Amino acid sequence: MEKVLDIQNLCATFSIQKKDYEVLHDISFSVNRNETVCVVGESGCGKSVTTLCVMQLLPGNGKIKSGSIYLNGTDLTKLSKKEVRKFRGKKMGMIFQEPMTALNPLLTIGYQLRENIMNHRGVNKSEANKLALEYLEKVGIANPDKRLKQYPFQLSGGLRQRILIAMVLSAQPDLLIADEPTTALDVTIQKQVLSLLNDLKKEMNAAILFITHDLGVVAEIADRVVVLYAGRKVEEGTTKQIFKNPLHPYTIGLMKAVPNVDLDEFVIQPIPGTFPNITEKIEGCRFNPRCPHANTCKKCFEEAPQMLEVEPGHYVACHLSK
Amino acid sequence: MDQRKVLIHTRKLKKYFPVNKTTNLKAVEDITLQIYEGEKLGVVGESGCGKSTLGRVILQLYPQTSGSCVYHGKSIQELNPTYIQKEIDHLKKYQTKAGEYYQESLKIDKNIEQLEAQREAFDVNGNPNDAKKYDAISKKIAKEEFKSKELKKNASRQLREGSRSVGSLILCENIDEIADLFTKAQNEVNLAHDCLMKLNDLQNRYDENAVLIVEKDRVDDDIQQLINKEELNEAEELQLADLYATKEKTEKLDLQKLIQENQKLEPEIKQLKEQIKKHHDIEMEYRTQAFEYRGKNILPITERTFDAAYQKKLDDNYETGINLSKLTKKEMRFVRKDMQMIFQDPAASLDPRQSIGKAIEEVFAINTMMPKKVRKEKTMQLLTKVGLKREHYYSYPHALSGGQKQRVGIARAIALDPSFIVLDEAVSALDVSVQAQILQLLNELSSEKNLTYFFITHDLGVVKHFCDRIMVMYLGNMCELADSKELFANRLHPYTESLLDSVPRLTLQEDRKEVEILEGEVPSAMNPPKGCPFHTRCKKCMEICKIQKPDYIEAKPNHFVACHLYSKEAL
Repeated sequence: MEKVLDIQNLCATFSIQKKDYEVLHDISFSVNRNETVCVVGESGCGKSVTTLCVMQLLPGNGKIKSGSIYLNGTDLTKLSKKEVRKFRGKKMGMIFQEPMTALNPLLTIGYQLRENIMNHRGVNKSEANKLALEYLEKVGIANPDKRLKQYPFQLSGGLRQRILIAMVLSAQPDLLIADEPTTALDVTIQKQVLSLLNDLKKEMNAAILFITHDLGVVAEIADRVVVLYAGRKVEEGTTKQIFKNPLHPYTIGLMKAVPNVDLDEFVIQPIPGTFPNITEKIEGCRFNPRCPHANTCKKCFEEAPQMLEVEPGHYVACHLSK
Repeated sequence: MDQRKVLIHTRKLKKYFPVNKTTNLKAVEDITLQIYEGEKLGVVGESGCGKSTLGRVILQLYPQTSGSCVYHGKSIQELNPTYIQKEIDHLKKYQTKAGEYYQESLKIDKNIEQLEAQREAFDVNGNPNDAKKYDAISKKIAKEEFKSKELKKNASRQLREGSRSVGSLILCENIDEIADLFTKAQNEVNLAHDCLMKLNDLQNRYDENAVLIVEKDRVDDDIQQLINKEELNEAEELQLADLYATKEKTEKLDLQKLIQENQKLEPEIKQLKEQIKKHHDIEMEYRTQAFEYRGKNILPITERTFDAAYQKKLDDNYETGINLSKLTKKEMRFVRKDMQMIFQDPAASLDPRQSIGKAIEEVFAINTMMPKKVRKEKTMQLLTKVGLKREHYYSYPHALSGGQKQRVGIARAIALDPSFIVLDEAVSALDVSVQAQILQLLNELSSEKNLTYFFITHDLGVVKHFCDRIMVMYLGNMCELADSKELFANRLHPYTESLLDSVPRLTLQEDRKEVEILEGEVPSAMNPPKGCPFHTRCKKCMEICKIQKPDYIEAKPNHFVACHLYSKEAL
C-alpha cells in the first residue's frame, strides 16, 4: 500500500515561561491512500498539535524537537518556510472545526473558492468558476451558482462545512486533514457530512487524517484508529481491532464512559481522576494515576511502556499486555 | 392515574422574539408540559429548536409572550404574591363587569324579540318588496344575535379571568367577607415574618458559635497536615495563611462559654419556631375558611353560573401553584432560589479574578443572612459534596480543569437547596471521561436531594441513560414526549426516528444496518412552514401535513406525539 503520510518518532515541545514541555512524545503512524485514520483522545492529549505539526503551523512557542514527517516521500520538517508553502493547501488540505472562522465574512463564497483554485491549479477566472461549480456539486450542494454569490453568514453550519470541504478538495491534495470537522454540527447534519467524506474517499481515492474526540464518529468513518493520551500513542489498530478488542486500560475506559445509545442498560462508569497537565511530571506510564490496574503492577510507576505489536497491525503501549 | 406530584405546569407557553415590526422569531410555540417532582426530563433537538429558550422562559429569564407557567414547588400561601391580593381586590370588579356585559346582552335579546315580531308581519310570498325588507331584518337579527353572544362570552371570560387564583369564589355573593378573611390571613403572615427575622438572628449566632467550636478543635490538625507536605501550591499557601489567622482568633476564645451560650439559645430558637408554625396554621385556617364559600351563595350573573359544570370549570382553572409570569421581579427573585441553572461553559460562568470560595459564598451573601463564618463553613461543605477539596476554596478558576469548573457551577446551583435545576448543555463541553464523572455526581445529588432536572442536550446517548423522560423538540414545537426507554424502543414521530438514526454509534460499519440520512436543514424559525413544521423534510409527508398543524395527542399511555400519522382522522 502506498503511504501518503508517514510520521516517524515525532516529538514536539512547547516552551512556557522559558521551560520546554513535551506535548508529543515519540508519535509514529502512517496514512495510506484510500484510507481514513482517526486520531482520538481527550482535549489536551495532542491531537490537534499533531495536525499542526504536519501542516507546519505550530504557534511561535512550539517546535518540532525530533522525528520526521514524510508526505509522499518528502520530509516536511527539513523544508524551509518558503518550500512548505508549496505543500500547504496544494498537497495537504485542512478542514477546521469552526467553519465560520475559517471563511472570510466579507467575501463571497465564489470569490474565496475561485481564489483558492486559481492559486493552486493555475487556471484563469472563468475556468476557476467552472471548477468551483463542479466541486460544489461534488459535495452535494443544491443550486451551486446561487451559493457562489452568497456570503458565509447566509449559509447554515452544515453548508459552510461543505463549502470548506469543496475548497480543500478543489486543490486536489494528496492528504486531507480534518480537525474535528463535525463537532460544531448537529447530529443530523453531522451524519450528512460524515457520509459525504466517506463517499469522497472512495470516489477520489483520498487519504484522510481525521481528528475527533467522539468514538461514535470514529466507528462511523475510520479504517484505522490511533489513540493518544497525554502526548503519547497508547494504542493503534484497525477500527475492528480497537472496538472489538480494546487492550489499553485507557481505551477500555473511554469505551465504557460513552453513553451507548444501543444498550438498554447502561451504568455510567467514568475514568477516575483528571487529565494531567503538560507541566505535571509523571514517572513511568503517563496513565498510571488513573489506571485501574496500576496497583498490581510495579513497573507502571518506574518505566514508560514500549509499543508492542499484539496482533498484526494492532499496537499497544501497556506493561500488562505482555 | 398519575400519582406523581407536578412541579411545573406550562400551558401553551409561547416565546416570540421580535425581529422587526412585522416578523417574529418564533422560538417556542405552544408548549404544554408537566414536569414531575424528582424526575429528570431530557430535552433534545437540533440547535435552534428552542430547547434553551424554553429552559430560560421557565425560569423567567426571558418574559414569555403568552401562556402560563405555574410552579407548584412552593404553595401560594408561602410566597403570598401581590398578584393574588390584587385579584382578590378585583373580585368585585370582575363581578360587576361580568354583570354589565350580561345586562347589556339581555337588552339586545329584548331588541331581537321586537325585531322578530316585526318580521312576522311581512308577507314573504306575496309582495317582492316585503321579501326584501324581510331579508334586511333577518340580517339585522343575525347581527344582533352575534353581538349578544359575544357579550355573554365576554361576561364569562371576565369571570374566568378572575378565577385563575381564586376559583369559583368569584361567583359568591358575600365577597366582602372573603376579602376580610384574606386580610386577616395577611396579618398572620406579617406576624410570622417578624418572628422569622428574630429567629434568623438567633440561629445565626448559634451557627457561628458551632462553627467556632469546630474550628478551634480542628485548626491545629489542619495546620500540621499542610506543614508536613513537601511542596505547597498557590491555593494551599493561601489556606495555610488563613488557618494561622483563625488560630490566632480562636486561641483567645473560651470553649466552655461558647457551649453554654449555645445551650441557652436552643430553647429560644425552639420557641420561635413553634410560634411561626402557629401563625402559619392560623393563616391557613383563614384561607380554608375563605375557600369554603366556594360553590355556595352563588350570584346569578349569567345563566351559566347556575351550571354545576361551569363552576367545576372555574375551579379547575384555579391554580394552586404560583403563576410565575405574574410575579413581580422581587418576588421572582425569591422563587428563583428554588429554581437554578447550570450553564454549558463553566469557564465563562466564573469570574477569573474571583476565587472559587468567594464565587460560591456570594450566593449565601446575597440570598441569606448568614454571618461570614457560617457562610465559609457552608461553602467548604459544599465543595466536598461536589467532589472538590477544601483547599479549592482559595484557588482561582484558571487553576481548575474543565470538569472541576463544572463542579463549581453545580455547587453554586445547589447551594440554596433548590428543587428545580435547568441544565443547559451542562456536560456537552466536557470530555467523555469527565462527562461521565459529572453525570454520576448529578445522579447522586438528585437522588439525595430529590432534585428535578430539566436537562437540555443534543447528545441522545446521554439522555437515554440519564433521564427518566425525554421530550423531542423541532422548530419550537414539541414532537414527542415519552419515558426514555419507551421512546427508544417505540419511536413514533418520523423526526425522532431520523434523529435517533443519525447518532454516531459505537458499532462497526459492517455490523450496522443501512439507515436513510435525513436530508435538508432546519427551516428558519422566522418563517416556519405551514402545517406540520417537519413536513418539509419528512419522508412520510401526507397532504394534510402541509395544511394542518397536528394536534398533540396521547398515542399510547404516557407517550405523547404530534403527528398526523397517529391522529384520529388518519386512523
